[in-house]
Amino acid sequence: MPGQLAIQTKGLIKNYGKVRALCGVDLEVRRGEIFGFLGPNGAGKTTTIRCMLDLIRPQGGIIRILGLDPQADPVAVRARVGYLPGELSMESNLKVESQLRYYKDLRGNKIEWGFVRQLAERLDLDLTMPIKNLSKGNKQKVGVVQALMARPELLLMDEPTAGLDPLMQQEVYRLLKEAQADGTTVFFSSHIISEAEAIAERVGIIREGVIVEEAEPSRLISMTMRRVRIRFKHPVDPSPLKNIEGVSLLSQSNGIDITLQVEGEMDGLIKALATFPISDFETEHTSLEEIFLAFYQAGDKEKI
Amino acid sequence: MFAEFKHTLRRLRGQMIGWGIGLALYGLMMVSLFDSIVGIEGFEQLIASYPQEIMAFFGDIMAITTPKGYVDIYYFTYMTFIIGIFATGTCANLLVGDEEKGILDLVLAHPISRSALFMGRLLGFVVATAVILLVGWLSWVIPSGSTSLNLTWIEFLRPFLPLFAVLILFGMLALLLSMLLPASRTAGGLSGGLLVANFLLMGLSNINQDLKSLVKFTPLNYYQGGEAITELNWEWLAGLLAVSLVFALLAWWRFQRRDIRVGGEGGWRIPSFSIGKKRSDTLEAKAS
Repeated sequence: MPGQLAIQTKGLIKNYGKVRALCGVDLEVRRGEIFGFLGPNGAGKTTTIRCMLDLIRPQGGIIRILGLDPQADPVAVRARVGYLPGELSMESNLKVESQLRYYKDLRGNKIEWGFVRQLAERLDLDLTMPIKNLSKGNKQKVGVVQALMARPELLLMDEPTAGLDPLMQQEVYRLLKEAQADGTTVFFSSHIISEAEAIAERVGIIREGVIVEEAEPSRLISMTMRRVRIRFKHPVDPSPLKNIEGVSLLSQSNGIDITLQVEGEMDGLIKALATFPISDFETEHTSLEEIFLAFYQAGDKEKI
Repeated sequence: MFAEFKHTLRRLRGQMIGWGIGLALYGLMMVSLFDSIVGIEGFEQLIASYPQEIMAFFGDIMAITTPKGYVDIYYFTYMTFIIGIFATGTCANLLVGDEEKGILDLVLAHPISRSALFMGRLLGFVVATAVILLVGWLSWVIPSGSTSLNLTWIEFLRPFLPLFAVLILFGMLALLLSMLLPASRTAGGLSGGLLVANFLLMGLSNINQDLKSLVKFTPLNYYQGGEAITELNWEWLAGLLAVSLVFALLAWWRFQRRDIRVGGEGGWRIPSFSIGKKRSDTLEAKAS
């Protein structure tokens, strides 16, 4: 089993002075999968990733990346890993091409430049632009290109689509899926649930330095809640909707505007709404914090 | 390591050109002025009329009319802290500057060891310093033939060696301090301040003999300056380079073990002594 794991951490502990950032992170990511690492800001996502690359040293626990110990042989680990930091900073005076050629040099020139151009083209990135003139989104594209250009065995990406417009987000998802098809394991962190839904095969949720859940995204969604706002063409009696499993009425106004809370799948509600005269329909994804709340509420219920 | 060395030289290119041009112009000017300055009638008497304290501060100032004294007083006496600005500023930022900007995070995620990164950048700085001094040396050697500065190229070269050693020493001190202090600016400022303080202490020790015992423990006491034109003290040169090596090794050792920070994370602050808190406590007490 360990040979089939791209990432394995056991009891990972990291403190910044008196602040406990990681309190025993246990994580297993299989080779070839796309794994979403979710958590709110400050949960420990970036710290976990930076420990994996030996950029910071944990106080306790074990890390194995592609079977290697990053503290014992960091260069061997990094040679097989592509990394996109969450806070991407580059040398502002360099042009994009010079910056990427520098990263290429650091990898011992083992990169096919044609592939770099291909990636840049797909992300609509101008290689002749100085870094200082790039927008946040375009800087992020440089980060994505440098992470992918070495065709690494493992991609560690800290919020890979931050700052990108929706079209470019989709392109990045496609690039990640193509990398996966070529055998790359993708480990990405995010605090956006829809990102995990879009590409992850499995997700892990970290909160306050502890993994609270590892599951398939569909299971996560089934445990989450959505808010649904409906406007009817004329006043209706919404009581049949309240009887649907997982649906509860939050508010109503004159029988025209109603807000529902839906737990789990939407199928029952959609089918029931087919008989109503609907003018507008809006759903709102729950935030990760709300998902955590759902988890804790479920946990409390089990305890009771 | 070579990739990082090449990259460091490329980054220091602007500084090398700027400092090189500045030193070259200064050198050319001072060479061309030699005959005019020493030829001024009553120049020696003018200098002799300076207050004793000023004369003592600059050492053997009466030697200014000789080629050796001229080169020493007008160049090597204070080039330590002029070019020291480059050395301390560059070294304080060599690694920690990039760390503070968040650049180092991605660089070190590539297959390069911390040692290779450290060595590549350090060698880049050493070569850049050597290039700047080489330009400075050429600016004296090339035009000196057309003046009465009868010094050979080797005589000009000798004092550049202790200057190089002192610059490397204070550069390595800045590098070490950047690994220990919370900000690169603090490290650069402190090491630059120590260099200037050492320079002043050296001058003051010529006035106050009690300071002589103190300056023995400072690097500039072992800096020959223009004295090296006639004979180079190899032991002092080796000593300065050895101390530089110790500083560099300590900095390397520290860099091996530290967390790479992002945006100031993990930095330490000078602890406050809760003056504000006490004041607010008092205010709260008053309010209650």
